[in-house]
Amino acid sequence: MNLPAYGVGIGWRPEISGFVAELPGLRFVEVVAESIAAGGPPPAALTTLRERGTVVVPHGVRLSLGGAEPVEPDRVTHLARVAELLDAPLVSEHIAFVRAAGVEAGHLLPVPRTRDSVDALVENVNRTQAELPVPLALEPIAALFDWPDDELGEAEFLTEILDRTGALLLLDIANVYANARNRGTDPVDLLDRLPLDRVAYVHVAGGAEHDGIYHDTHTDPTPAPVLELVGELCARHRPPALLLERDGRYPPAQALRDELDAIAAAAGYPAIT
Amino acid sequence: MNEDRRPGRDRLAARQAELVAALVSGAPVPTGFDTRLVGAARDALLRKRAGDVGRHWPMLAAGLGAEWLPTFRSFAATRPTNGSLRDGWDLARELAAGGRLPGPAAEELAVREATWRYDGDSNPLPRRGPALGRAGGTLVIRFAGRVRVLRGGLG
Amino acid sequence: MAAVAALFHNDAMLISAAAPADTWGISGPTFLFLYVAAAGLLILAAVVQRSIVFAGRRELATSQLAPEQAAYLNGGERLAVYASLGGLRAAGAVDLTAGRSLTTSGPMPAGVTPLDQAVYNAAGQRIRPRELATHQWVRAALHDLRRQLETAGLAPTAEQRRAARLFPLLLLGLLAVGVVRFVAGVTGDKPVIFLLIVLVALAVTTLILLRSVPRQTRAARSAVRTMKGQHTHLSPSSHPSYDTYGATSAAMGVALFGGAAFYALDPSFAAEAEVQRNLASGSGGSGYSGGSDGGSSGGDGGGGGCGGGGGCGGGCGG
Repeated sequence: MNLPAYGVGIGWRPEISGFVAELPGLRFVEVVAESIAAGGPPPAALTTLRERGTVVVPHGVRLSLGGAEPVEPDRVTHLARVAELLDAPLVSEHIAFVRAAGVEAGHLLPVPRTRDSVDALVENVNRTQAELPVPLALEPIAALFDWPDDELGEAEFLTEILDRTGALLLLDIANVYANARNRGTDPVDLLDRLPLDRVAYVHVAGGAEHDGIYHDTHTDPTPAPVLELVGELCARHRPPALLLERDGRYPPAQALRDELDAIAAAAGYPAIT
Repeated sequence: MNEDRRPGRDRLAARQAELVAALVSGAPVPTGFDTRLVGAARDALLRKRAGDVGRHWPMLAAGLGAEWLPTFRSFAATRPTNGSLRDGWDLARELAAGGRLPGPAAEELAVREATWRYDGDSNPLPRRGPALGRAGGTLVIRFAGRVRVLRGGLG
Repeated sequence: MAAVAALFHNDAMLISAAAPADTWGISGPTFLFLYVAAAGLLILAAVVQRSIVFAGRRELATSQLAPEQAAYLNGGERLAVYASLGGLRAAGAVDLTAGRSLTTSGPMPAGVTPLDQAVYNAAGQRIRPRELATHQWVRAALHDLRRQLETAGLAPTAEQRRAARLFPLLLLGLLAVGVVRFVAGVTGDKPVIFLLIVLVALAVTTLILLRSVPRQTRAARSAVRTMKGQHTHLSPSSHPSYDTYGATSAAMGVALFGGAAFYALDPSFAAEAEVQRNLASGSGGSGYSGGSDGGSSGGDGGGGGCGGGGGCGGGCGG
């Protein structure tokens, strides 16, 4: 799929909806799929954005595609309905699981990079794609720990999943940075081994170090190394869109504008502020 | 699915369940995982939950002030989430029963009790018609869409 | 004793013997009909006159309302003070002491209104939040605010209020006539029950018309309504990030959405300052809707409650 170049975007949140509404060059936002009622209508602010030509992409967080259990049909249906409601060109979800044996983890958890895990994921992704009216992009997550069972490397694992499902890649640059930093590996090395031509769009986010571990919090400003990584990515293959993901502790409007400008500068896209 | 793959899938399910239990139910870290890192993940998860619950129950979090995080942590450490609304509700009720619910938080709970019906086991359902809400020493009445504090609360 | 009773009885019989001659020469039903018609006309005239007098200027640019103006129109002096206090709090300029008195905690922000200045300076005197509305500096600023609104056609002026009294006063006169008739009817031993009902209804209506003076003109009411629609992102149910929007927006949030917005802005400050939640006109509800509807995504079994946004995308362990 070739998305037109939307440039820099931002995750739409009710907390900052007034700020998002006033970004003059904004063409691309993402909204948490589970926060939208499938029966509609969507929040008025999103409708207004769509009316002025901004694309809204539903981002699922609770499908648990990486779970050993089959993905719940109701959740897939919900995601599909929301995609139609928002007239979205694609949807995205995570390579992760959020529940097991009926217990909610309350967060995205890493899956082991094993053949069994790949099989389970591929099955769930195929089930999901069968019901979606638009393409699906998969986001690998940041994980503080690895499974002892890991058989495949990160890039290998991702590539196999994408090859077998035909899904697109939602590359979270902040996750790439976090994982590499916590494991002492080179993030650029991973970039070189990923199928960058399959990147539908990119997430950029901030984090903070705590007790010697870097947490991808989404409630902190984007650090300089992540912006550098954005530059490295775009030098290799510039994605159609880069999305600032911020989930809380929102700073003053000017700080957010500066952050969006910094991402645009690193990516070589025009500023949207 | 190919029957050969069944055992692998079952093992994956079991391992995932073990990991979730270690992160949210206080179960031991499954074999092979880095205990320190899983512990860090568990702490981060609790902090995030505390933030989410605090957003749904602002007077509760504000009322406890510096005690909010430790109070929530000890409440939630072995209790998997039922969603932020229910988590906060359960915690508020527990504090109220122990007389440890600060005034404004008691009013917040009383209003919720009058507005929704929550049995502690399933999602709260909206109440229709007038209702009383009780929490700590606070009593509120909800009638025709308006809520009035009858006793206690913020004064 | 019996003789006196007999005397009254005889007198009553004498009077009732004169009954065929109606009180004042007008029959009961006729009088009632004329009376109700007159009352109806006067009430109609009063209502129409109010509607004209309290219309306000049509050509107002609604986006020009400042937070304290919107607050005054929406919830009177109390809300105007809260809006000002909310803005100052958001700017970090005021705080509460341990004894729950106001205090200044930072410099007066630039470009604030006279009301903000009055509130800030009053806070510097360590008064209680509930004493703000009666503090002389604040009262002076509120007085000027009202004048401003009257000039702009957003609030009825004193002359307009006086003018709107005309018909209610005439109604009062009519009421007096009715009372006299009632007394005459009673002493004449005539059935007065219908007249009594009419008099009571008229008295209530007249009282309402005399005493209810709207705080805002119709134009103002429509302006506030428009602004609420333009500022839904500041409603407590959107969980606005006031840090992002700034202090003026915080004040506007309180102005348009009442005390509940103050609680969204700073729950512990609002609680300790005993801010009333239901101050805005037509705020209905409990003022608590902001907190509860975020999590009631009933369709979701357990976990998340993602009404508030993202959450799951980052942070711990994944």
